[in-house]
Amino acid sequence: MEIKSTDRDNFKLIYQQNYQTIMQVIVHIVYNLEIAQDLTQETFIKFYQKNMTFKSEDEAKYWLLKVAKNLALNHVRRNKREDAMIEKVKNVPGSGIVDEDVASNIIDSEEKRELKKALDSLPDKLREVMLLKLYGGLNYKGMSEVLGTSEANIKVRVFRARKELEKYLSREESDVY
Amino acid sequence: MCIDSQMLSEYLDNELSEPYKTQVEEHLSHCAACRKLLETMSETDSDIKSLSVDESIIDKNKDGLYSLLDKKLFEGGKKVGFFRRKIAVSVPALATSAAAVVFIFIGGYMLFGTSPSQTGDILPSFSVQADSSNVRFVSSEAEGSLDDYTLEEILQYLDSKGYQVDISIKGIQPLE
Repeated sequence: MEIKSTDRDNFKLIYQQNYQTIMQVIVHIVYNLEIAQDLTQETFIKFYQKNMTFKSEDEAKYWLLKVAKNLALNHVRRNKREDAMIEKVKNVPGSGIVDEDVASNIIDSEEKRELKKALDSLPDKLREVMLLKLYGGLNYKGMSEVLGTSEANIKVRVFRARKELEKYLSREESDVY
Repeated sequence: MCIDSQMLSEYLDNELSEPYKTQVEEHLSHCAACRKLLETMSETDSDIKSLSVDESIIDKNKDGLYSLLDKKLFEGGKKVGFFRRKIAVSVPALATSAAAVVFIFIGGYMLFGTSPSQTGDILPSFSVQADSSNVRFVSSEAEGSLDDYTLEEILQYLDSKGYQVDISIKGIQPLE
C-alpha cells in the first residue's frame, strides 16, 4: 500500500504500527524515557513535514527508523560533548556516563546493568545493527535499507557485534575452555 | 570440518539460503561444539533483548502523543490566517515578474509617449518648436577668412589703411 506522509489516515496507520519500535530503538540509545518520547515526536513531525510518498509501509518504517536512530545518536553525541566540557570546567575526572541513573526503570538489576554496559561498549556501527535487529525486529534486508549499506555488510556487522558482546560478557570459547 | 561461525550467525538469524541451511542443520545434528557455539550466540541475543523496555511503559504516552501530533499537524494547519500564511516565491518567478513590470512600464511610454496636451496642465512643455525663426545655421555667422577676398581687395584695403606693401613671389628674381 502506498503511504503518503501528509495523509491523515496513512499517518495514523504508520504511527500505530511503528511507535513501539521507534521508542524501543531510541530508548536503548538515550536511556531516558522522556528524551525518547521527545525524539519520537520529532521523528514523526519530520515524517509529516517531509511530505513524502512511500512505496510501501515497510519503506516508511525504514525511513522512520533511520531518522529516529540518527536523532538519538546525535543527541547522545551532543550530550557527551557537553558533559566533557562541564567536566573540564569542574575539573572532576570521569563522573561516569550520562543518564546512567535516569534509566533506573529500564535497568533494574545488576545483570541488566552489565548487559547494558556490554551493549554500550560496542562501536556505533555494530550497536546500530543489534538495536535494529533485536528491538526493531528488522531482518538483514531491512537493516541494509535503514543503514544504507549492503546485506553482506550487515551480515558481517551482526556477526562481529555478537563476537564483541560475547567477548565483553566473557562467553567466548577461549574463556569457556 | 566445522562450520564457519559467521555462517552460524547467519543461520541463527534465519537468513541462510539453501543448500547451506540444510548443510548447517546436518552438521549441527552431530557436532556438539557447533551446537554450543550457536547456543551461546542465541543466549547473548536473548540477554540483550531482555533489556527491552516493558511495553506498558513504552505505550504509556502513545495515545497522548498521537492526539498531540494529530492536532498539531492536521488541525493546526487549517487555522492559519490569511495574513500569517507563508508565501513562498521562487527566485526565477520573482525575476520574471519584475521584468514584466518594467516591460509594461516602458512599453506604455513607448506606445503612447507623453504629449504636451496631456501633461501641459501639470508640467510646462518641453517640446521644441523647430521652425525657421528658431533655427539658425551657426556656420553662416562665422567670420570670413582671408580666402574670401581677392589679392587686389586685400591690397586695396591695406593701402587705404596707409600700409606700404611689397609683394614678391618666392624663388623668382625680379628682372634687372
